[in-house]
Amino acid sequence: MDSLYGFALYGITLLTMGGIFALLSLGLNIQWGYTGLFNAGIAGFVAIGAYVSAILTTAPSPLHLGGFDQPLLVGGIAAMVLSGLVAWVVARICLRLRADYLAIATIGIGEILRLIFKNESWATNGARGIVKVPKAFESLPAPMDQLAFLALVLAVVSIVYLLLERAHISPWGRLIAAIRDDEQAAAAAGKDVVQLRIQSFILGAVLMGLAGAFLAQYLKFIGPNATDPLTTTFLVWVMLIAGGSGSNRGAILGAFLIWAIWSMTEILAGILPGDLALRVSHVRIFIVGLALQIILQRFPQGIVPENRPNITGGSS
Amino acid sequence: MSKLSTAACLLIAGTTIAAHAQSVKVGSVGAFTGPIAALIADVGSGRELAVNQINDQGGLFVGEHYELVVGDSACDAKAAVDAGQKVINVNQVVAVIGASCSGGTLGMVQSVTIPSGVVALSDSASASNLSSLDDNDTFFRTAVSDAYQGVALAELALSKGFKQIALTYASDDYNSALAESFISAYYAKGGVITANSMHEPDKASYRSEVASLSGGGAQALVLFAYYGNSGVTIIKNALETGSFDTFVAAEGMVHEEMVSQIGAENLQKAVFTTPGADTAATAYKNYLMATEEAGINATGPYVANGYDAAFVMGLAIEKAGSADRGKIAAALREVAGPPGTKILPGEWSKAKGLIAAGSDIDYVGASGEINFDANGDVTGSYMITTVNPDGSFNKVLMQ
Repeated sequence: MDSLYGFALYGITLLTMGGIFALLSLGLNIQWGYTGLFNAGIAGFVAIGAYVSAILTTAPSPLHLGGFDQPLLVGGIAAMVLSGLVAWVVARICLRLRADYLAIATIGIGEILRLIFKNESWATNGARGIVKVPKAFESLPAPMDQLAFLALVLAVVSIVYLLLERAHISPWGRLIAAIRDDEQAAAAAGKDVVQLRIQSFILGAVLMGLAGAFLAQYLKFIGPNATDPLTTTFLVWVMLIAGGSGSNRGAILGAFLIWAIWSMTEILAGILPGDLALRVSHVRIFIVGLALQIILQRFPQGIVPENRPNITGGSS
Repeated sequence: MSKLSTAACLLIAGTTIAAHAQSVKVGSVGAFTGPIAALIADVGSGRELAVNQINDQGGLFVGEHYELVVGDSACDAKAAVDAGQKVINVNQVVAVIGASCSGGTLGMVQSVTIPSGVVALSDSASASNLSSLDDNDTFFRTAVSDAYQGVALAELALSKGFKQIALTYASDDYNSALAESFISAYYAKGGVITANSMHEPDKASYRSEVASLSGGGAQALVLFAYYGNSGVTIIKNALETGSFDTFVAAEGMVHEEMVSQIGAENLQKAVFTTPGADTAATAYKNYLMATEEAGINATGPYVANGYDAAFVMGLAIEKAGSADRGKIAAALREVAGPPGTKILPGEWSKAKGLIAAGSDIDYVGASGEINFDANGDVTGSYMITTVNPDGSFNKVLMQ
């Protein structure tokens, strides 16, 4: 029974982290899947969300700015607002760039944000990071606390999913799909292409900020390494591409699937003896790459391909 | 999907079968991938060495196998939390050794091991904010907290007769933490600080900073900085202006490059501290011999701490008498601290006999005395380091 209970607890953590990645993947899906904006600076927006909510919700500390001991809800909302504001500034500067240039610009912005958080130690405690970040429901007895937090994350993912599905078939969703597929045609039809791209970029960044707030809560800690580009930006890209770019269901499925592969391959280490066990950690990075290859070979559009909104029925 | 979940089930079933009924499992969480993977590979080998010695000398309890279950914390809190959850819930370990990197460890400890009441013993996380967590006595480390080096330096300065000093530190996290612990220890022991200022690293000149530090009757300049960023320049400026000729500094300054730029003849009145084991002690020699046999890089950073963590954890489990998570913390304190017969690295069968007889033991590790304080920290040992006239360093263990 003990081991069954243990597996259940591990399952909860797997799903919680998967849920946080699903939010990131959904955010990227708006930007890349819907609109075709190549954002390679996901980690930067996650960091904004995580640090803003951590600074607002922790108890006062001499080590960093604040904390301001605010409710978690305030932290979450502020994380989304600030992430959105930064995205607006970035979008104003960069969104006139075409795909590959935008990718380079966003990589730079993601790194700039990360380095600011690492070096402005009066606000963020520098490389040491912010500790004792409060977590929703942590006062409940185990394992209810973990279950309740999981339920919260999954509920937010579901709500976001429903809203995005609605947006996808709305006139707005069809318009950004049109911009992605033929920007000049959309512009010729009198649509404000830049304005819509900015909106889409901000919306995606808001979700990334929210995911950052959840990440800080879940880890009860935030430091520069927790928003490392490899496991934040690039893993999210793998999730979206494998799951199916343009499809919200695909984005969610990809997030859970890739995180499960990432996390569970390490259990191999328990089977292998001595030195080999130490190398399993390296093998899992290889396995994630291999999984992406296999998925894309068999499902070139991702596991759940995009379901294009029906544009024949509308009158616009 | 169904194929994948079948594979996952097989994987999990495989783990359960592979776990022998008569083995005691301990998590070995470390940054085996990521930015310091090369260093941590050696630390992992250090842990394995202690475990192999224990198993060769009778194992735990009555012939039970001491087994490490590896988890990768990748120097990242996300990975560390995931690895901690896995070893604790899936592998059902008794306790966890790790994690590496302060960031990963802060995540794992706060969100996994403290809530689940499992002891974590880190061999390679040195951040001082790990000491102040509300951990219900579940977090320990064999790595020395950065805060202690400041205290060691304060003692060194006073023992050299410096009752009045001027102090400056670089504005990074490591050096400001050192300065903070130095200042409070130095004041507490009756020292007087005539001037105290923070400086920005990487400036071309520190003449104005040095000028404002001099005067006031300071006998020495205490300097917390990395030699390459500001340390060398500050000492040069102080010597040029004749403000100071005596310096006290920490390990961030100790490097051949520093001596070659300043000149050994100018550093005859400088003293430094470096953390390190007493290489002349029998405990360290035992360890060195074992690592040579096993072909492990013994002198790498935190390798001796990794060895000590795995060894003292074995002692604690043996002392607890059963693989009961709740008993490990108290047992760790009993086997690591005095009173009791001293146990040195590798002396497992001797320790096992004493524990069976109900006698107290006191583990003295390769990395120093392993005595946990109220926060679960060890004080570690420091070397007083001076510069020889020929430019080499002379290191003596600080008593």
